[in-house]
Amino acid sequence: MEPGGSSGVGSGNSGTYTPEIAESLRFEEEIQSLIHQSFDGSSAAGGSFTALLGLPANQAVELLHHPGPGEPPASAASSSPTAGDLWRLRLGEHHAATDALRLPFGGSSTFVERAARFSVFATDDSPASSSGGGLSPGLKAEPPDSDSPPTLPAPAGRPRRPSKRKECEKSKAKAVAKKSKSAEENTSAAKPAAEENTSGDKLPYVHVRARRGQATDSHSLAERARREKINARMKLLQDLVPGCSKITGTALVLDEIINHVQSLQRQVEFLSMKLAAVNPRIDFSGLDHILSAECGPLAVGSGCGGGASGTAMWASDTAASTGGIRRMPPPQQIWHLDLVHPQQSSTVWENNGAAHPHFLLSPAISLVGYDPAGSVPLNSNQLKMEL
Amino acid sequence: MESKSFTTGNRDNPNTDLHGSKNMMASHFLRALFRIQQTSTSSSSFAGRSRRIRRAAYASMAYSAGARRAWSRALLRKLRSRARLRFPRRLSRTARPQRRDMDQAQVLRKLVPGGPSMDYCKLLEETADYIRCLTTQVRLMQTVMDSISSYAHHPMIP
Repeated sequence: MEPGGSSGVGSGNSGTYTPEIAESLRFEEEIQSLIHQSFDGSSAAGGSFTALLGLPANQAVELLHHPGPGEPPASAASSSPTAGDLWRLRLGEHHAATDALRLPFGGSSTFVERAARFSVFATDDSPASSSGGGLSPGLKAEPPDSDSPPTLPAPAGRPRRPSKRKECEKSKAKAVAKKSKSAEENTSAAKPAAEENTSGDKLPYVHVRARRGQATDSHSLAERARREKINARMKLLQDLVPGCSKITGTALVLDEIINHVQSLQRQVEFLSMKLAAVNPRIDFSGLDHILSAECGPLAVGSGCGGGASGTAMWASDTAASTGGIRRMPPPQQIWHLDLVHPQQSSTVWENNGAAHPHFLLSPAISLVGYDPAGSVPLNSNQLKMEL
Repeated sequence: MESKSFTTGNRDNPNTDLHGSKNMMASHFLRALFRIQQTSTSSSSFAGRSRRIRRAAYASMAYSAGARRAWSRALLRKLRSRARLRFPRRLSRTARPQRRDMDQAQVLRKLVPGGPSMDYCKLLEETADYIRCLTTQVRLMQTVMDSISSYAHHPMIP
């Protein structure tokens, strides 16, 4: 949301903002009057504004004018109109801020409002920022009793933010996060200490208005969506790669993933070498018939032959073509060859317990005939040379 | 192969789809193995045979994934266009100190077929599917290997 125009503050937004905005406007005028008072009064006891500040007039003035101690009132007086203007400007952002801030803070709307106001008055300009800094203690003091404790952290946290400004000056999201964090951290921060900080530093929160918990422009929304997509995919990958879920850090996880892919490719290479060495005699008669029934598009070279005893068992199964369990035995046959030979290795294609060993034996035999010489087809009564 | 996604849910009947794609891969691979077995003579080199078997493995992987996946499409393109299927198997196992954040995506792109033409997000997605498919293929080959070698030790019952 752009920092809207000055007077068009309440427009274009939901009516919920108008109370706050009206209040802000009231405060703004009030504060302006108070500031003028204080400048004229030049004493802490004079203007109620400075009384609210709890600071001597010159300190209040320097807060308004310049984040440096000991500023003369005159310069502060000159800056006050500009401060007022700046405040009015900032109010345009106020509704945006409140909007953004309202979301994670579903509870205390007052807090949100306070926080929004604080953010509202935070700018790069030193007068405005210092005025914001000067304003915040005042705001806090004004309805202090009625407000819930959450308002306390906001102003108390306010002065601490200046110290963090340098870190989060550029980063909007970080500014917001730090603001919320500091607001919580400074729940117990002493107010006097906070004020001293305020006097010494520039005020932070260049762009805090928009970012708390919600992106308000399409770019950051898209970025966030993209980042979440990437994180989701990384999680999937972590689940796939064994031993990756306990690794933290994207670089290490990616390393693991890369290693895994490489190891898999090497395994394919190695196994293909072994298969080439073994040089089996594979007959696909039974297998073709069974598998083609399931995978229609694959044109099988008439695999209907042979394997009488073997295929007859599954003919009914495949013809039934019901999903689920019925399909399971036929595909399992080749993968359960190891069941026939209990000493087989651990790799099982499908580790379902529904296999019938005696069923498996004959198709296994019909499927795989081992012949080192490669000359004589085995089990000719069951096999047919296909293809 | 969304049907073979073990982590995400299957939209269709899990059993059929799971077995369907696996069976497709298995049957294709076995048929290819058989073809290689038939066509290769005693004079054909061992290296040539193993290369052909490896090619068949990747081909069956790509066929089982079909045209749904970018990596399978790229793999099929590679298989059809070139006689030699080159793989980054010879990634030097020497320590690559610079293989850190900046190069990781590059390395991954080299590993996964079709990698260079994907953005990072898609690359991760395709890598996941590729890993699944590779795992399936490796298990398939291992099973075939085991069953074959088992019959070496246990002669056929006539």
